[in-house]
Amino acid sequence: MSSIIECRGLTKRFGGTVALDSVTAAVTAGTVHALVGENGAGKSTLGKVLAGVHQPDDGGVFVDGQQVQLRSPRDALSMGIAMVAQELSLVPARSVMDNVFLGQEPTRRGVLDTGRARRRFTELATRYEIDLDPTVRVDSLSVAQQQRVEILRGLARDARVLIMDEPTARLSRTESDALLTSLKALTEQGVTVVYVSHFLDEVLELSDNVTVMRNGQVIRSGPTADEDRTSLVEGITGSRMDAAYPARATVADDATVVLRLNNLSRSGEFEDVSLEVKAGEIVTLAGLVGSGRTEVARVVFGANESSSGTMELAGRPYKPSAPHQAIAADVGMIPESRRTEGLLMQRPVSDNVSLPHLRRFSKTGVVDGTRERREVSTATDNVQLTGATIATPMFGLSGGNQQKSLFARWMIDPPKLLLADEPTRGVDVGSKRAIYDLMVEMAEQGMAILAISSEIDEVLGISNRIIVMREGRVVGELDGASATDSELMALAFGLDEATQGDRESLNE
Amino acid sequence: MTTTVVSPDERTSSRFRLAGLAHYGVVWTTLGLFVLLWLTSDVFLTGANLRNIVDQQSLIVIAGSAMTLTLISGNFDISVSATLINSSIATALVFNATGSAVAAMAVGLAVGAAFGMVNGLVVARLNINSFIATLSTSFVFFGIGFLLSDRSIIRITDRDFSDIARGRDLILTNASWVAVVVVLVFWFLLDRTRFGRHLFAAGGNPEAARLGGVRVERVVITTFVLTGAAAGLAGAFLASRTLTAQPSDDFSFVFSVLTAVIIGGTSIAGGEGAVWRTVVGAFFIALLTNGFNIHQIDPIIQRLVQGSVILAAVAADNWSRNRGRST
Repeated sequence: MSSIIECRGLTKRFGGTVALDSVTAAVTAGTVHALVGENGAGKSTLGKVLAGVHQPDDGGVFVDGQQVQLRSPRDALSMGIAMVAQELSLVPARSVMDNVFLGQEPTRRGVLDTGRARRRFTELATRYEIDLDPTVRVDSLSVAQQQRVEILRGLARDARVLIMDEPTARLSRTESDALLTSLKALTEQGVTVVYVSHFLDEVLELSDNVTVMRNGQVIRSGPTADEDRTSLVEGITGSRMDAAYPARATVADDATVVLRLNNLSRSGEFEDVSLEVKAGEIVTLAGLVGSGRTEVARVVFGANESSSGTMELAGRPYKPSAPHQAIAADVGMIPESRRTEGLLMQRPVSDNVSLPHLRRFSKTGVVDGTRERREVSTATDNVQLTGATIATPMFGLSGGNQQKSLFARWMIDPPKLLLADEPTRGVDVGSKRAIYDLMVEMAEQGMAILAISSEIDEVLGISNRIIVMREGRVVGELDGASATDSELMALAFGLDEATQGDRESLNE
Repeated sequence: MTTTVVSPDERTSSRFRLAGLAHYGVVWTTLGLFVLLWLTSDVFLTGANLRNIVDQQSLIVIAGSAMTLTLISGNFDISVSATLINSSIATALVFNATGSAVAAMAVGLAVGAAFGMVNGLVVARLNINSFIATLSTSFVFFGIGFLLSDRSIIRITDRDFSDIARGRDLILTNASWVAVVVVLVFWFLLDRTRFGRHLFAAGGNPEAARLGGVRVERVVITTFVLTGAAAGLAGAFLASRTLTAQPSDDFSFVFSVLTAVIIGGTSIAGGEGAVWRTVVGAFFIALLTNGFNIHQIDPIIQRLVQGSVILAAVAADNWSRNRGRST
């Protein structure tokens, strides 16, 4: 069979991390080809290299057997490769038709030729069976419909290959079914679809071929018919090495419950979440991105309000309506994205660390700089912040040090409960270990830690207990020391009956 | 300090050096201008000329110190002109009615603070872009000014009232000394207090500030109240200095204030800036104007130069931002 795209020995590095490690794979024309793997396995990066978004450091991409240089999405488009990004890139206030022809509007002597545009639109829509009203504004459409606009835009540019990154992640069940049907229809018209997904059911049902990736490498690539759910999960997780994790925090038998959630819900985000975190315990909320984990943490921290259910902190009713109230109640948070939610990038380390504690350092509103510097220095020493002083602006620090600064923030006047959302995201391996050590140390000193992580290794490596969420609900709980990755994956993905039986026994 | 210093790579260190140079650029430029005028003119470095320059800038410095805080919080306050006018009218009316200078000045300040509170509530509670919000309230305030004054010029008949602004102590005028005090107060507020830290946080990254326990809304409202109060104080001194108050819808004062703040190098993007910068910015403009006048240069050229200087200042800010912070 003829392969429309082939990559040979593709390698891509981001700073010190190898995102793609000598990847070789081929995509057959007119098929649906799935890329599967964990977060960070390199599947999205591979998609982006093929779409010209990223340039490989080594290796080559071949289209129709010819080696090509894809320096930009424009280059890729000229080779007939279009990307439908996870974050859609449409102009919300313009019509469907304007968006489809954006940048290549049919014109006659420089004047827009609306008639021709309309004819071309109808032609495309009929041929690919995509039903859309060309006159409505894009921002009045649902996400699923917007996605179709984006697909149509690619096809209007004569794309033969569509690269889709997690196309169904933001869709409801019926919407994703409809999308998958229309993708199938596209392949019948000769279009090739490369699609990145972590929904294994979809992959098994829809794709003709599948490439399994792990740690930037291709584990195998072949017909989907040869795979089943178990083989995919095994391929995705592999046989894990026992990574460098500290010994788990030990939880005293008589440890008090620090946080208790009773049927906590926030409409549209999560429902009926009940859980407990004890003093000295690290509990991790695991699950796929979008399963409602971060949303739970934000409600506990007062960043959002719950719609029903109750919370208790150290045995007392607790309902913060803003983060400053949560902080006053001895709760700390390390947010999911340190750049947009955590740090003041232009300010020195010291201002960032002391921000929630200024009341402690000030008399009648005036900050005692000497005391502040002393306590901030102690905190930054505790987290082993090296390579910077407390006066260095935050933008001058490495990702690892930025993250450590956020931990230093909660070393001062340590809270009873720390919410740590993706504690090691974008952090180098050395700093990761240091952060795990810190978390265990904080727990040993009696802090209750509710962590959120998308890295399975990390979840299994540091947690005392693991609570798995799927689609806004708690679907199971695992013991941190004995849980396996396949158990965790089964819960997170919602796998078959047999595993469900196991899960129920685990819940008892 | 016990933290160790690992040498940053060469690119980083040169970036810091360039950013550092740009950091004090406005100071060197202003000093250079000062020396240039000193060398090219006999009248420049005389007590009377320098005192005049300082006195002329005093109201701009008073309002500008507070406006610096507004910009750091990530907002604009266009209504400073309208507030100035209303406060001067209120001061004149109260003084004519009561004969009490203290009451008149206090009312001027209070009117400004009240207007500032209105702005703060509109911006923070209704969540309206501050530029649009304060442009709109400006028109409302201008209208109030015409109503208050019954559309006429109010003259202050007791000429002694002008001593409040024009009286001299230790070389400088009273208005200048008040400006010095206001600068010191806002400087202290920004650099040494919890409110100042919260302000930088709220302007630099509102979401991070909120998650760090800052009540962003309250900080923004306070900033507008302070800016209104400072504009009110400036208005009260304006009434004293001119012995008149008249309604108008003239926006020129706020643009002089903004020019000083921006040339000083306070970022219009929020989260960065300093009160001393505004003081330097105000004197840079004052020296430029003074130099043009001394050398009898066409006022039209002055406009061209002033406009270009503002563009250059903002471009320099963008440049150092992109260089220094895009890591």
